[in-house]
Amino acid sequence: MTIVLETRATPSARLIPTAAAAPERPPFADVVREHLDGLYGFCVRLANHATDAEDLVQETLIRAMRAYDGLRDPARAKGWLFAIATNVWRDQSRARRREVTTVPIDTPDGDDDTFSLFQTIAMEDPFPYSDELHLDFLRLFRDEDVSAVFALITPAFRLPLILTVVHGFSCKEAAAILEIPLGTLLSRLHRGRKQLERGLWDYAVANGLVTTAEGVQS
Amino acid sequence: MIDCREAVRRMWAYLDHELADKPISEFEAHLETCQRCCGELDFNRHLREVVAAKSPALPVPPEVRSRLEILLAGGQNQLENPT
Ligand SMILES: [Zn+2]
Repeated sequence: MTIVLETRATPSARLIPTAAAAPERPPFADVVREHLDGLYGFCVRLANHATDAEDLVQETLIRAMRAYDGLRDPARAKGWLFAIATNVWRDQSRARRREVTTVPIDTPDGDDDTFSLFQTIAMEDPFPYSDELHLDFLRLFRDEDVSAVFALITPAFRLPLILTVVHGFSCKEAAAILEIPLGTLLSRLHRGRKQLERGLWDYAVANGLVTTAEGVQS
Repeated sequence: MIDCREAVRRMWAYLDHELADKPISEFEAHLETCQRCCGELDFNRHLREVVAAKSPALPVPPEVRSRLEILLAGGQNQLENPT
């Protein structure tokens, strides 16, 4: 009876979730291990380089370790780790003076915005005897070709693509990871897709995957 | 009524389920009258799948994993005195 009275006497414990949840928090290392492959893959695609990627993961883990107490919901650890990795990558790029932004990021670029891979394939007709022209074009690409095309996309537009297409985050989650408004995310995503469309075509022409009348001459 | 140019501009947002109701109905009304844009929508859907399928997971190489495990286990020492 006393026990019942005692538990009822402390109902406020349930109203303080952080205090109550703290002891059940999984160890940091366990949380990290669960997402380590995903985080590593993200860092490889961010850095475009395996050695840089390992650096990036290491620094991310160091910062995450220090900030772990601030993570309210360990179930959201994946997005949280990706957000830290993005910040580390930004800091490292700044320090190395790489990734200098040469295009205005958030103003529309008419050229990118209107390129259509679908239409280009139809017009250039690289497989005159195919009845699956567009699908045949996509079949030309191996994994490493797709990675090479990704690597050439402007980083600010590449990130939203990687997060949504490769890692399966929703647009809302990707916006939170990149710390930008949803509208900004959507317009960058759109431009990333357009650069991807153009990049796939240019890559196919440059690497002789397709031959076009123009490609032969230039 | 929107034209093909505008339809193409909205296409990726449509595939991402990020268009508002009015732009969706305008876009879908255009699709009903335009074979070309239906083809492009279909292609872009494929393109998205193909790009995802050809961007496979990149597991941590074993030697990198063991260095990261040392970092996780060692915690603070390791980070304050990097080699
Ligand atoms: Zn149309």
